[in-house]
Amino acid sequence: MTGLILKDVSKTFGGKTVVDKISLTLDKPGVYGLLGTNGAGKTTTIRMLLGIITKDSGEITWNDQPVDRKTVNFGYLPEERGVYPKVKIFDQLMYFAELKGMEKADATASIQKWAKRLKVEDYMPMLAEKLSKGNQQKIQFMTAVIHDPDLVVLDEPFSGLDPVNTDLLKNIIIDLVKNGKFVIMSAHQMATIEEFCTDILIMNKGKTVLKGNLKAIKSTYPANRAEVDVDVDIKNYIQDANLEIEHERNHQYTLKVQDEQNARKLLQKLVEAKINVNRFEILKPTLNDIFIEKVGAANEK
Amino acid sequence: MKNNRFRDIITVTKFTMRDLISRKSFRVSTILILILIIAGFNVPNIMDSLTGGDYNDTILISDPENLYDNKLETLNQSELGYNFTFDPISYDEIKAKIDDGSINAAVMIGKAENTVNFTYIVSNAATIMSSPTTLIDALSSLYTNVQIQKLDLTASQLASVTPTFTTEVKQTEDQEIGGNINVMMLMSVLLFFAVYFCAYQVSSSITIEKTSKIMETLVTSTSPRTIILGKTIGIGIVGLLQMLLFVITAIISAKLFLNPEILSHLLDLSNFTFYLAAITIIYFILGYFAYALLYALVGSTVAKPEDIQSANMPVAIVTMIGFYLAYFTLMDPTGQLAGIAALLPISSPFCMPLRVMMGIATGWEVVISIVILLIFCALVAKIAIKIYSNAILNYGTRMTIADMIKSYKEK
Repeated sequence: MTGLILKDVSKTFGGKTVVDKISLTLDKPGVYGLLGTNGAGKTTTIRMLLGIITKDSGEITWNDQPVDRKTVNFGYLPEERGVYPKVKIFDQLMYFAELKGMEKADATASIQKWAKRLKVEDYMPMLAEKLSKGNQQKIQFMTAVIHDPDLVVLDEPFSGLDPVNTDLLKNIIIDLVKNGKFVIMSAHQMATIEEFCTDILIMNKGKTVLKGNLKAIKSTYPANRAEVDVDVDIKNYIQDANLEIEHERNHQYTLKVQDEQNARKLLQKLVEAKINVNRFEILKPTLNDIFIEKVGAANEK
Repeated sequence: MKNNRFRDIITVTKFTMRDLISRKSFRVSTILILILIIAGFNVPNIMDSLTGGDYNDTILISDPENLYDNKLETLNQSELGYNFTFDPISYDEIKAKIDDGSINAAVMIGKAENTVNFTYIVSNAATIMSSPTTLIDALSSLYTNVQIQKLDLTASQLASVTPTFTTEVKQTEDQEIGGNINVMMLMSVLLFFAVYFCAYQVSSSITIEKTSKIMETLVTSTSPRTIILGKTIGIGIVGLLQMLLFVITAIISAKLFLNPEILSHLLDLSNFTFYLAAITIIYFILGYFAYALLYALVGSTVAKPEDIQSANMPVAIVTMIGFYLAYFTLMDPTGQLAGIAALLPISSPFCMPLRVMMGIATGWEVVISIVILLIFCALVAKIAIKIYSNAILNYGTRMTIADMIKSYKEK
């Protein structure tokens, strides 16, 4: 199984290249994160991947076969959320399950299973227009997974969800991967991507600005921040160690770190001064930091 | 989990039918039309109940000068459709009788020199289209007969001045035209209503999916071809069933509420053969689907509900043209325009069954016309599917014709 491969995929609209030679590989079950600012080309890439719009050039394959609705069993949660407002939830879920080739009995069992998991069982006999946006989103997520797809494509799955439902969906995505599913996910919430994704691709204006295994990417970045929790004012020690305070509250300091050695020196000085250190942590840059740095640098060019 | 196109079309068809039937607007309009049909066939009964059941068509003939020599009662033997009462009363007395409703109208007969004057008296002249020509003709003819009889002529002299007149229509063309004009027109009207009131639902159904942003989920579940065909067939079946319901209701209402003589006169089905019934049904279905596919095409070009009306307008106009061409076919069945209209796909469903019923369409003309109609349906379906596929993500303004051509040429 070679999984999903996108190779030099491009798309132009009205003379403007919106996706420029994007390549990515997802060769084992996991979550691949597509990151980018608004208009970076994430949704267009997903739409080409699913054949909603045709690519101008490049190759998209799933297990060495061109990606097609007939050859790949995929599920899709689009960025543009939509349900049939005047149709009962159960009926529209059954409609999509049948279009995906499921038999009625299997579809019914699957609808019941997912409705229970997503805590929307009570809404099944209701018209979609009666549901809140968050619940409509959960219904649409059900349409994406009801037929047990091998490849699940989620475009901004968490936007519009409250923290409880975000958590619920996170656990489901983790389970999908455990069950051997390949997941492609675009999101704005960097913390979420960081939580799930094994690999990421950061896009800006249609181009790839950073790509690869998330852990490997992060390991190439030196520490850029330190967090210190003490009981007294240590501003003088910080100044002496050539560090800059980014944020401070009740003697809890977040420090900008240019050189990791300076941070270690600070810790040594504090210990020598017998200052009670509750917490001292040298941190690698977050994905958010990397994203801002990469996209910012690309935009400055 | 293999996708099967035929199974998918059935799934889309069933879903579309259920969606359409469950809509409140559809149910309300169907019930309203059924009520209107039943009420329409009850107009005479309703009129009776409104007038307390004493509405009458009695006409009083007043001949104060006895110009008719007491022979007016022979009018009762004529089949003019009136109840006559004869009384030589004055205008004021007639007015009183009209006011109290005992008569509907009256004719007062008077003479001045060589002029016999008939005064037609009604409660309000604005409520009548014209004076009753048949009655006046009958009165004129009777007057002449009365005067001739006074001349005391012999039987042969009498026969020579009062011959029996007969009329015969003879046509110069070889082609004879048969059929009942009411039945012919009814078929065209039914198709027109089916297209006008149901086929347009295809375009709104497509636009609703765009408005509710469900398109992306849908087109990743099945092909645009399946969606277009399933929708058209689904709405088509519902439309045909709805039309069948109206027709059955109309037939039952007619049988229950209309005078059987009037009914058989209006709808003479004596020359409605199996062949004609088959042709009518084939053209009805093909015509309906041709227009439904045209609506699918225009529906693919819009993304907002407020644009549907203007997008549907050209198809509605084309439907009217097709319908009026059927009317022209009735007016001039053997004319060149009728011949062309029977082959044009936009008008052949309206016109060809009429020509077949009149007995002026040859078998070859019918075959050619059906083939043209089938090609037209396939072509419109192809364009509609192509534009639908390329305009899936058009959530913006309505597409112009130039956009449509550009979209059709896209890969």
